[in-house]
Amino acid sequence: MSTREIRIYQDLMGQNEVWARKTRDVIAQKRLFMINLIGAPGSGKTTLVENMVSHLAGTLRFAVLEGDVATTRDAERLDALNVRVSQLLSGGACHLEAKLVHAALIDFALDELDLIIVENVGNMVCPAEFDIGEHAKIAVLSVTEGEDKPLKYPLLFREAKAVVITKLDLLPHLTFDLQACRDNIRKVNAGIPVFEVAAKRNEGIDAWIKWLATQRRAVAESATVT
Amino acid sequence: MHEFAICQNIVAAAEVEYARVSPPPRRLLRLRVVAGGLHQIVPEYLTQAYVVLTSDSPLAGSALELAILPVKAQCRRCAWTGQIELPIFQCGACDSFEVDVIQGKELRLESLEVDTP
Repeated sequence: MSTREIRIYQDLMGQNEVWARKTRDVIAQKRLFMINLIGAPGSGKTTLVENMVSHLAGTLRFAVLEGDVATTRDAERLDALNVRVSQLLSGGACHLEAKLVHAALIDFALDELDLIIVENVGNMVCPAEFDIGEHAKIAVLSVTEGEDKPLKYPLLFREAKAVVITKLDLLPHLTFDLQACRDNIRKVNAGIPVFEVAAKRNEGIDAWIKWLATQRRAVAESATVT
Repeated sequence: MHEFAICQNIVAAAEVEYARVSPPPRRLLRLRVVAGGLHQIVPEYLTQAYVVLTSDSPLAGSALELAILPVKAQCRRCAWTGQIELPIFQCGACDSFEVDVIQGKELRLESLEVDTP
């Protein structure tokens, strides 16, 4: 028996990356801004999106891709608000892969849209690993979790282009240290914007929507230049 | 347990590369993978996933060897470069948090070691 070593140097996310690139091409061509909401189960991602609906009206035309392991409950919640929505079922996987997202994305009438919101499967680890071709991963963290979450999930908070802290209206009932949380985010990813919202009370959403509109404008303008 | 999802990508890529080896080897002995520290892979979990995912494949019985690269950063303020300790992304010289990661996100198949006829 003789052994032989074959050098390869191949990116292991290659197959996912192929589909992520297709999505990047499509959203660049259609001048869409695409976000990927990532947070723990129960962090308030769907409620945030529900609350965004009325604020986005007249500002950005949008569609939502809802990722879940099972059930169409989240898509039904948004459908009830007349939102263009597709439910993506990961079939047990803890994250969305680029191929599934791409297939659902191109089913939308993209010329009629400015913004694509992907709500990933509730999980703070796997979705941070898988690029789906989005412009920005957004970390969603509620005040009912720990202020040390940014330190416990550094890849997510490092990859994120912004953080949305949710359920701020519950702060008086909790021991959550908001300033410590802000400091922890800064230690992992200095300089990213942090939006603090209370979706149920309709508070703090405006700044978040304004940021999305600014990002979308930048995407549209850079597309015009090239 | 993101090791399982990552390992699915490893096995898929390795199967393609192994099928390309010419002349066809008798079997795969070892697979070398390099991963940056940001992926926070637990080597034991990755190895277990590898055994399960390759059990019915041409890769069955091969060993997965994982090399983890430490996370390195460069400071935007003072240009320091060096290793950082997760989860704090901070300059080792001027303590600024304004740093860029220059190593630690890698995830690649490095080599295959095969038994040739």
